[in-house]
Amino acid sequence: MATRLDKHTVVIVGGGLAAALVARQLTVKGVDVLLLERGGDHREGAEAHLPSQRDELRWDTRQGLAQSWSTQTYTLRHTVNDDSLPVRWMEAFLPGEGMGGAANHWNGHTWRWAEYDPSLPTRLVTRYGKEAIPADVPIQDWGVTYAEMEPYHDLFEKLFGLSGKAGNINGQIEAGGNPFEAPRRGEYPQPPLEITEAGLIFKSTVEKMGYKPFPAPAANSPRAYINPDGQKLGQCQYCGHCERFICEAQAKASPEVLLYPMLLQRKGFEIRLRCHVLGLDYDRRARRVTGVRYVDLMTGEEYKQPADVVVLAAFTMSNTRLLLLSGVGKPYDAKTGTGVVGKNFCYQTNSSVNVFFKDRWINPFLASGSTAMVIDEFNNDNFDHTGLGFHGGGGIYANVFGGRPIGTRRVPPGSPRWGTRWKQANADWYAHSFALSVQGSCYPNRQNFLDLDPVYTDAYGQPLLRMTFDWRDNELRMSEYVTKKMDEIARASGATIVGPAVPRKSPFDTRVYQSTHVTGGTIMGTDPKTSAVSPRLQHWDTQNLFVVGASVYPHNSGFNPTGPLAALALRLGDDLVGYVQKPSVL
Amino acid sequence: MEDRNTTGSKRRIFLKQIATMAGAGPLGISLGAPAGLAAVAAFGPSSALADDQPAGEQVLGYEALSQDEAALVEAMVNVMCPADDLTPNGVDSGLAIYIDRQLAGGFGQGAGYYMRGPWKHGKPELGYQLPLRPVEFFKAGASAVAAQCSKQYGKGFDQLSAADADAFLDAIATGKVTDPRVPLGSWFNDLAYPLFIQACFADPIYGGNRNKVFWKVVGYPGLPATHARDMVEFRGKPYPGAKDPKSIADFS
Repeated sequence: MATRLDKHTVVIVGGGLAAALVARQLTVKGVDVLLLERGGDHREGAEAHLPSQRDELRWDTRQGLAQSWSTQTYTLRHTVNDDSLPVRWMEAFLPGEGMGGAANHWNGHTWRWAEYDPSLPTRLVTRYGKEAIPADVPIQDWGVTYAEMEPYHDLFEKLFGLSGKAGNINGQIEAGGNPFEAPRRGEYPQPPLEITEAGLIFKSTVEKMGYKPFPAPAANSPRAYINPDGQKLGQCQYCGHCERFICEAQAKASPEVLLYPMLLQRKGFEIRLRCHVLGLDYDRRARRVTGVRYVDLMTGEEYKQPADVVVLAAFTMSNTRLLLLSGVGKPYDAKTGTGVVGKNFCYQTNSSVNVFFKDRWINPFLASGSTAMVIDEFNNDNFDHTGLGFHGGGGIYANVFGGRPIGTRRVPPGSPRWGTRWKQANADWYAHSFALSVQGSCYPNRQNFLDLDPVYTDAYGQPLLRMTFDWRDNELRMSEYVTKKMDEIARASGATIVGPAVPRKSPFDTRVYQSTHVTGGTIMGTDPKTSAVSPRLQHWDTQNLFVVGASVYPHNSGFNPTGPLAALALRLGDDLVGYVQKPSVL
Repeated sequence: MEDRNTTGSKRRIFLKQIATMAGAGPLGISLGAPAGLAAVAAFGPSSALADDQPAGEQVLGYEALSQDEAALVEAMVNVMCPADDLTPNGVDSGLAIYIDRQLAGGFGQGAGYYMRGPWKHGKPELGYQLPLRPVEFFKAGASAVAAQCSKQYGKGFDQLSAADADAFLDAIATGKVTDPRVPLGSWFNDLAYPLFIQACFADPIYGGNRNKVFWKVVGYPGLPATHARDMVEFRGKPYPGAKDPKSIADFS
């Protein structure tokens, strides 16, 4: 029997980036907020301090900061006709655990998406006609405009001290920035990071080809920085240990550096660590959630935590799973295309090509997580898709983010896999190679979705979330096209050797890291029939329940998901300040 | 400490050879005794040998591997990492000890793996689907390799010439050598080979990459990697620290 606890005004499930941003807006106005986080506090651990922080085997290869698959994993089938199996050790994407969530072990790329992303269907129909969108690609308008999100982007960029070069200030295109950038009100809070040798090679190559390269917007601080809350970032040391690591120099903007230390000082803020949420208490007749149920991992005991308002701000997969486990909202049915929970599950369609330069010192270990030069010419709808047979695209990057030697060594095609010649190939090329990569969009497909697995359960006895996912025609064609563009750049770069440029192929492979950018499942929209939450992230059926995170994205763009997610979380925090005083349909 | 009491004459000869080779080789003492001595320790009671060690040296034995398995692993890592101008052989580079320790520890026990049934065969893209813990799979594979080797060559893997051993490993990796029960290609490519790579390039605290030898080969400078100035000063130039890498032990 679960013990019933005292009520809190707002209970947030999850203790990552989105949760912290919502809590920031609420607690400053005196609203009491309780966060429930399944993991612990990393700040004093081996993961956050030299020398152990630099342990590639422990944090990277063995995924020391990621969700433990032994407790909870996901099952996968590529089509509805396959049997699902649990992914027993996932490489493809890495949800985080602990205060700060996956934003502790991120690389730091922080984009505003294209101005047209929140109204993508409108954009495509206007440009290509009514038949432009295939029937099996259910992209939909978000119900929010970029202009509404811009002030929150601006706030987030200042809070996280983003570095970069503006490409579009109030509609004015700026040299050195991304000409396709959504209009911003001003420069980035900090100048760009140093460019790597690879970035210089890429820049001069693509400029000759007529493209406009620019430094990726980064949350890795090029110098010491104090944000508007008085919270501090150190100077990035270009140590090459960002993604999969906690920054021991506190130079990578992260919730555990910039948000949680401040929140923990605020009255009315509480985070309960090592509390695993099992589900929502849902009053079906009243169409309200009354609170959440969780297991305290320090005792094994189950608790009922009552709340006036519940916010799901866990990882994409957990937000979706909690709605399904709690029976809130109609599960998506792929046969009929009806229902909403689990719909529009998307990922990131990436590919890469290795380039080798005999006479250039690339020194891959001199890098930060976001020392990338990028072009945006072939991303999303930045180019004419007439007659191409697909929509979407990807950014093309020279993205050197570390030279950690277990995972980051490149040898030319045809090199042996062991022996003296293998060693020699590593000796010859480790410091003289890098990869170009495409970070590509992934638009929804009616056959890609999430639901509860009928067979497999987690350590708490609850059904695992099941992915039905594969690369479908639209993404396969997109990847082929943009990978070819990347290959042209590789071949024009003066590289001694260019490896094979292989587009993303079906079937989806869980054994290969691609990115942690899984999106959708609890999507936002203007129609309760096709979306789980409203444009203000309020659950359509359950007024006092809100969902925030990449799980609300109706599609995934050719960008990292953090920027819009943070903007939406800050806006939700502001909305909830009003909601707790006067509950209503927002 | 499994199979401590099993003995084999071939194994005994092999260990003697290794010990001799190791004794003549470039040995570090930071993690413990040379791998050759480690192998001897596995063969007999380690305490007896430990008493003979100079103060500060720790005698290492094999934790997870039996003597036959250790002989196979030592032979494998010496084929995959022969002594040459770049590195000492695999055993002297700590690669066998690394593999043993990983199999004996959390990784080998399946820490972090989802290990609930039902168990079914799946497409490769769904990843590992066996109910065996990685250490058990490793042992099953080692025994299948030994059996297939004996069938093909009439002798143990550690008795093969370097060229034959290399060709045999290649045949396993490319699926040309199969076993009726053990998926040998997957065993090699998804388990043994990644362990070999980690053994070469992980921080030396795990027992492989002795004396940071593989970091020196490629020019990875290791720790502490505070490169804010290096980033500008050595952009496009050889980085001096790459010749003398530092590891976790250097800062502990």
